[in-house]
Amino acid sequence: MSPSTVDTSGFGAYAGPVLRAESGGPFLFEIGAHHLNGADRLHGGMMMALASIVLGEIAKETARTRTPDAQVKPLSLNCDFVSAGEKGETVEGRAEVTRATRTVLFMSGELRVGSRILMTATGVYAIGEPAAQ
Amino acid sequence: MSAGLPSPVFVAPPPGYMPSALHDPFEAHVGPLFERTEADGTRIFAFIADPRHVDETGAVHEGMLMTFADAFIGGAANHAAGGDCVTLSMQASFLAEARTGDVIECRTQVDRVTRAIIFASGRFSVRGEDVMTATSLWKVLGAR
Repeated sequence: MSPSTVDTSGFGAYAGPVLRAESGGPFLFEIGAHHLNGADRLHGGMMMALASIVLGEIAKETARTRTPDAQVKPLSLNCDFVSAGEKGETVEGRAEVTRATRTVLFMSGELRVGSRILMTATGVYAIGEPAAQ
Repeated sequence: MSAGLPSPVFVAPPPGYMPSALHDPFEAHVGPLFERTEADGTRIFAFIADPRHVDETGAVHEGMLMTFADAFIGGAANHAAGGDCVTLSMQASFLAEARTGDVIECRTQVDRVTRAIIFASGRFSVRGEDVMTATSLWKVLGAR
């Protein structure tokens, strides 16, 4: 199965692309020249954006197992910068649900290149009905 | 200071603002970003949300808001350290949505300075209403 692009929203597409090889598999992102900071490392903002896309996609997928067209919104994100990423590297992103309540999802995830962790992230997401927004 | 990297689109600055000189390719990619200095010397930063910045519901994407935070809270940390810093950790709370056309303004604060670590935070607002708050930790490069 060929990879598909996730988060094709304005920002997701413009900052990405972020790919997913298969349902249930990791998210993939290749670091390009325009994703860097002034020190030629993956920009911290792009790293947090990638973490937010990975956590948000898994949160949305989880919410939609209960309500097909549910939307999720981040209430809080916490990102720890464990190591740097470099141009040409492929970042793998993973996330899981720590706890799901009726209205809130507690998410946790990480970004890595091979065995090297770039970022650990946690987030709290609100589950909403599209019509209510 | 050089003029900085060009952004791919032209956006007229909000009233009272000047374009920021951006030296990080990703900041230029999502920019232009703007700044102004108040009479007391306080620097305020801004960007105008456009279709490149929004999520599938039309709200400004949290990744864009955190990129803006990293750029300018980082600038405050660098200034406090007198040199370059790298982000160790950032926590953001999303209080309200911003939409296309909104001017998102950022006010930064340095909360504590140690030899090796800077604690800094920021408030992000649209028309005076907070849309995000962020707190962060920065490592001063070269300090042990």
